[in-house]
Amino acid sequence: MSGKAISYGRIWDFAIPKTVDESRRWVLSAMQSHGQGLVTMLWRILGNEQDVCDAYQNTFLRLAHYEGRGKPEHIKAYIFRSASNMAISMLRRRTAERKRLSATAATRGRATDKDASSPANELDSKYLQETLRRCIAQLPEYLRNAITLRDLAELSYAQIGRILGISPGTARVYRCKAIQLLAVWMNKERQKKD
Amino acid sequence: MKSKNTNNKCRQIRAWLHKTISSRLGLDADWVQNHIGKCPRCQRRIVSAGRVNLALSVMKSQPHKLDLLMRANTQAIGVLKHSLRRAPKACKLKAMLPKPKLLERCGKYAHPAANAAACIAILLLMKIGVFSSMDKFQTEGQKVVKQYYASHVGQEMADEIFTA
Repeated sequence: MSGKAISYGRIWDFAIPKTVDESRRWVLSAMQSHGQGLVTMLWRILGNEQDVCDAYQNTFLRLAHYEGRGKPEHIKAYIFRSASNMAISMLRRRTAERKRLSATAATRGRATDKDASSPANELDSKYLQETLRRCIAQLPEYLRNAITLRDLAELSYAQIGRILGISPGTARVYRCKAIQLLAVWMNKERQKKD
Repeated sequence: MKSKNTNNKCRQIRAWLHKTISSRLGLDADWVQNHIGKCPRCQRRIVSAGRVNLALSVMKSQPHKLDLLMRANTQAIGVLKHSLRRAPKACKLKAMLPKPKLLERCGKYAHPAANAAACIAILLLMKIGVFSSMDKFQTEGQKVVKQYYASHVGQEMADEIFTA
């Protein structure tokens, strides 16, 4: 009798990991189907390979531990939104760090950051990208999501609408407003340098 | 049936409205262009928006290394559960390279496909041309023979022969 119980116990022990395994397979499937788009979007937001890998890892880790190991209803929406938010947080941290460093350098009497040093660099692509990244990080969340998903993740307005829970028309309006705001801010940055 | 017609009409009206509005109120409309030419404030705004679009394009045009997806997958899989890490799919993901989009993949076949389509079109035209010319030759030949018979044996006889 006790032998039978032990054997059942062993079967049960083997069965549990297998079912858990099966139930979490969707994480790998999500990685397979959305990984490429996600990496492209993260690369465009962050522009640094190690940061991309970190944000990507955190996104899937968060997905794997979603609300007590459940499965989100719209996986794509969840992945893209959390990755975008994570990347923007990283970008903000990076900007703050850079500001702090340049402030320290200024107090020590050294020259400030090279890429923001002169307006002559305006046509320099690196300067343009960094300015845009800084400005995107400052946008309110609803506008930031629209421009990130449309321009950096290259999703259609219909897809953005589904992800953000708004109509495609609203997504289009948000993106337009984001461009206007970014234009104003980038202009101000340029004037500051002048 | 009725609803289908209404839908089509709605679609047509929507398309027409979009076309009309964009032609009259778009950035390319004449009156807008005339205004921009005179208004320095609008010019500044357009230049600023252009700068944002330029920055976005620059951002999009920067390629990442080919193995970035592979590295990101490897790093992400590394922190997942042990059972998932050892799944066959995980091994595939660790070696995954970015795939070009469908349009990009088909892009390299565009030129040969266009050539083949052009050849087929030429062949079809030739075939149509040859057959129509053959028909023409046949009818012309019949006419000549009929005329010959009419002049030698009479019109009635020729009609009889060629209608039979």
